[in-house]
Amino acid sequence: MTAKTCLNAYYCCMNSVDSPFKKIAVAVAFSPRCEALLAEARQLQDKLNAQMLFIHVGKKSLQEEQYLKHLLHRFGLDKENNKTIWEQGDPVETILRVCQEEEVDLIVAGALEKENLIKYFFGGVARQLSRKAKCSMLMLTEPNIHPSGFKHIVVEGSDHPKSEYTIATSIEIGRAYAAEWIDIVQEMDLSKMALLRHEELKQAEAEALREEFLKEEDEKLQDILKCKDCRGLLIHTERIEGKPGYVISKFARDKKADLLVLNSPDKQMNLIDRVFPHDIEFALADLPCNLLIVQETLYNQ
Amino acid sequence: MSKLSHHELIQFIFCIGSMLIAARLVGEFFRKFKMPLVVGELIAGVLLGPTLLGNYLPEASKYFYVSTGNVGIALNGLTTISVIMLLFVAGMEVELSIIRQQGAVAFKTSLIGLVIPMGLGYFTARYFYTWFGETDMNNVLPFSLFIGTAMAVSALPVIARTLMDLGLFRTRIGMIIIAAAMFDDLIGWILFSVILGMMNKTAQGIDFVYTLGLTLLYAIGMLTVGRFLINKSVPWAEKNFTWPGGFLSISLGLAFLGAAFTEFAGIHAIFGAFIMGIAIGDSVHVTEKTREIVHQFVTNIFAPLFFISVGFKVNFIANFNFQIVVLVFFLAVVCKLLGAGLGALWGGLSKKEALAVGFGMNARGAMEIILATLALQAKLIGEPLFVAIVIMAVLTSIMAGPMLQLLLNPQGNGFKNKTSIS
Repeated sequence: MTAKTCLNAYYCCMNSVDSPFKKIAVAVAFSPRCEALLAEARQLQDKLNAQMLFIHVGKKSLQEEQYLKHLLHRFGLDKENNKTIWEQGDPVETILRVCQEEEVDLIVAGALEKENLIKYFFGGVARQLSRKAKCSMLMLTEPNIHPSGFKHIVVEGSDHPKSEYTIATSIEIGRAYAAEWIDIVQEMDLSKMALLRHEELKQAEAEALREEFLKEEDEKLQDILKCKDCRGLLIHTERIEGKPGYVISKFARDKKADLLVLNSPDKQMNLIDRVFPHDIEFALADLPCNLLIVQETLYNQ
Repeated sequence: MSKLSHHELIQFIFCIGSMLIAARLVGEFFRKFKMPLVVGELIAGVLLGPTLLGNYLPEASKYFYVSTGNVGIALNGLTTISVIMLLFVAGMEVELSIIRQQGAVAFKTSLIGLVIPMGLGYFTARYFYTWFGETDMNNVLPFSLFIGTAMAVSALPVIARTLMDLGLFRTRIGMIIIAAAMFDDLIGWILFSVILGMMNKTAQGIDFVYTLGLTLLYAIGMLTVGRFLINKSVPWAEKNFTWPGGFLSISLGLAFLGAAFTEFAGIHAIFGAFIMGIAIGDSVHVTEKTREIVHQFVTNIFAPLFFISVGFKVNFIANFNFQIVVLVFFLAVVCKLLGAGLGALWGGLSKKEALAVGFGMNARGAMEIILATLALQAKLIGEPLFVAIVIMAVLTSIMAGPMLQLLLNPQGNGFKNKTSIS
């Protein structure tokens, strides 16, 4: 499925976006993974120097309030500029509303790698948030009480206007977490090439056409990756063939990446997009690792 | 068990061999003049069939095609299998996710590209059916629907090539047009199958509601649960079968099973194969290479057999009716230029580009010939109209290239290097 074509090594070096996420919201549920999620939140705060917001949707009881306070204190998250919000209502809509009001740049939530079929189609909280959020979204599949960070990051580098910002954001995260490796992946859906070949192209013509496509893609990516300042971050570019969204997820899984970074979808996904999956829905159907969906908001522009 | 005699078997095998070689030779000759292979394959049939060789030397023509007796039945079976495979491959080209991905704009574009040709075709045939040489009032509804459908179908590969020449193939606009054309073809073939179902009802007394129910059940089932199961099974098959040989036999096997089911349901077999093609082609596990093998196998062996056989079935000179040919040709061009052109204009292209897309989509190619052949077999249309539709398909395919050249590259600086609109 994945046909390796070229592998270029770069040492990072591009104009960066400073601190891509200044305000981070953590969706808190009192689940067994709550502690681990807060440990990860602490690391995010340290690495990205962000203001944290903890949102819990549900009835506020004294016991739960004290428990959350205890956890925040334990992980050193009870700083002055951090905030805890208790709200009641539909979890997804409430979190999205609060995030918009608070001008949050990134929502963090725990997510199962794979949900059962019914839950997948009708939506668990994290997946629903990822489909509807107007800001970036980080889904942590295996939050750990001792976070190991993001050592190997796989980033979408497709020919799309959003990719440049996504790559820049990923590099900032890579720097913050001292990532050992960043793979910028171009997904090439060549299935439509078959249509052209069908139109009586000779083998040589078809190959030339294909090479022309691939060269164009390489040039575009290299333009994005023009270097200025190297800070020891190892970046590889990789071209893989197959359906966008699916092949990059497979690549991240095969490479045992810690973080997969994708562009936000161009339109809001709904049930039909799950029945006829494309792009990000392939990743959401079976999360290969932690998933970051990058969305440029008005506040972080 | 009845079987072909020794002599019939030789005749049958000889016909297959000579048809394949003749189709390829004439096809390649026409390719030299930048014309699609299918034009040459079709003309090979016209030259060797009842129109020319068969008219003067009928015995010599029988070395290429026999339409009567056991050999005729066997050859007819072979061309039916060919058309089933062709529709299977056409289905594999349809990507539901692209249609969904391109969203409302693609939907609007396809709607215009579908409604205008279909509407104009339908109303012209409904109220002026005698102009088409039709006299049977009982068939006027399916006949009008067929003309509407015939005006709406397009040749996806030609559209892809048009967009390529425009430098738009991999842009957002390009994908919108591809998605729109896929959607138009999907609706066009569904509608055509329903029309054949209506004809079947008249001919065999099969309950149309029952037929429609089974067909919908099959289509929805295959495009949802079936597609899901196929996608899940492909990696398993890849692991356990020889690959891509395993894929070729299993996928074609499924195509024939699907075809058998829809034929049983009262809708033509092509519909089952088309839907199965969509379900299989949509799998994320089907690589470009695998797809390519199926394409090569079908388009180089079965497509020539089918297209050359078309020329053997009708005498193109005896059934040539100038009035019908001119009517069908102009109706087709006007319908498609208006529909696809306005659709592309709405999609965001300039007037000149929209006109170019209109001419690109105007090329009816192989799909129109398949449609007309099946309609002729179902006695939905007569031979003069069949000839007119085939001529229209050939002419629109031939004129697409020069028209694009004229519109896009008058001084040798077309849109080739246009950058991505996305």
